[in-house]
Amino acid sequence: MWSVLSSGPDFVLDSLKTFAESTGVAGLLAHMGWGTLAMICVAFVLLYLAIKHKFEPLLLLTIAFGMLLTNLPGANMYHTELFAGGHVHWDIFVAKAGLLDYLYLGVKLGIYPCLIFLGVGAMTDFGPLIANPKSFLLGAAAQLGIFMTFIGAYALGFSPAESASIGIIGGADGPTSIYLTAILAPDLLGPIAVAAYSYMALVPVIQPPIMRLLTTEKERKIKMRQLRPVSKTEKILFPLIITVIIALLLPSAAPLVGCLMLGNLMKECGVVDRLSKTVQNELMNIVVIFLGITVGATATAEAFINARTLFILLLGVIAFSFGTAGGVLLAKLMNLFAKDGNKINPLIGSAGVSAVPMAARVSQTEGQKADPSNFLLMHAMGPNVAGVVGSAVAAGILLSFLG
Amino acid sequence: MNILTVSWGWSEILWVALIGLCLVFILLVALIFIMKLFGACFQLRVKRSPQPVKTQPIISQEEIAAIATALKIYRSVLHDRESEVVTILSIKRAYSPWNSKIHGLTQLPLRK
Repeated sequence: MWSVLSSGPDFVLDSLKTFAESTGVAGLLAHMGWGTLAMICVAFVLLYLAIKHKFEPLLLLTIAFGMLLTNLPGANMYHTELFAGGHVHWDIFVAKAGLLDYLYLGVKLGIYPCLIFLGVGAMTDFGPLIANPKSFLLGAAAQLGIFMTFIGAYALGFSPAESASIGIIGGADGPTSIYLTAILAPDLLGPIAVAAYSYMALVPVIQPPIMRLLTTEKERKIKMRQLRPVSKTEKILFPLIITVIIALLLPSAAPLVGCLMLGNLMKECGVVDRLSKTVQNELMNIVVIFLGITVGATATAEAFINARTLFILLLGVIAFSFGTAGGVLLAKLMNLFAKDGNKINPLIGSAGVSAVPMAARVSQTEGQKADPSNFLLMHAMGPNVAGVVGSAVAAGILLSFLG
Repeated sequence: MNILTVSWGWSEILWVALIGLCLVFILLVALIFIMKLFGACFQLRVKRSPQPVKTQPIISQEEIAAIATALKIYRSVLHDRESEVVTILSIKRAYSPWNSKIHGLTQLPLRK
């Protein structure tokens, strides 16, 4: 009987050696440079920020975990070579792809950002914007950050397409940033997504000093006239009108704006309550998981640890700052032409950067610091949702120039 | 999609930034006008919608009183038919905070 096992100790040793070489530990020892180690540390820092300080936890947690997975060797869940050169290599895809490669297709093909916009639309009340359409101007002014950063990024040596992707961070709109970057500069997706979501979480830190710097105490105390009530019919017609106009004038922005408005129509029409609840909750949550984990997976050491990432992080702050300043300054300019009863509190201008609803909350908080009896939240929601439309329009324009 | 096929330099970058920002403004200003027009139409419709007209009651006060009295008399002679089956349900958990005597009384502070 023992003769059956005669192939003996060599075979056993070889088997164990093969197994040992296939483990992640061997990969870690063989391939781990300081870059991989640093990325694992970055993942842990982001996990800490998400869990302990609740910085955009829904996204940062999944992004950080994706980052951790992709940087641990041996798992083969994500392969950068399958998406090299900005397009999917279908010829080798099925043979090589891991779980995250399949999930990443949703980012690459621009599916997830649009689905997120569907949920955002279903959760957004466009009433304040319909009641005060002038808010669109503040939403447009806050896109200043995008175009200033576009110039700044080019000055730092990025290509025009990369500069546009970095500039869109200034729109403070995660899905739009991911949508544009996945098309124009897929190699920068990881750093740009991390920068966009990190700075969105830091809106309450970045915006107030700029808002206070650009406004006087008297301006911060301005009380705005109550918004007119908006009928249900207006709320139903609004998404239809915006979709038709944007799709006709700027087809490249139609996927984002169309999904945003479809979600909103589901909410406002009141006849598809089940669908509205699904896109607000289940669909949104599922897509957030997929989006976060795959975007995190793109943050490999080679793609993330370089001077360009530092530039992107720096340019992201500049983009947010210019966006905030643009909104506030335009509100001040509008006040020069407004009658006494119709003055705008310039603090709501900063809400023109999307970051819904955090930017509007910052306006409210700053307004109440100046005058506790002043309630700016609903007024700030107008520019805030206008900013979502504005950043999608800006993305569409950049896409049509550089896509 | 139409793509700009130019050799990119500073001049093109600055023009794209300027044109891009202007286009954002133009598009959103166009939306403002459309929304204003749209809002104006709705507000006009609300103003034009006819005010509810106060109508005189078709029947007189005396007739209403007579109908009400007749209804009261009719209802007073009606009786609910109740089930004659009497069932005693056994309560498994006799004690509950709702029927507790100790919880229903004001607790006096104890002096020690």
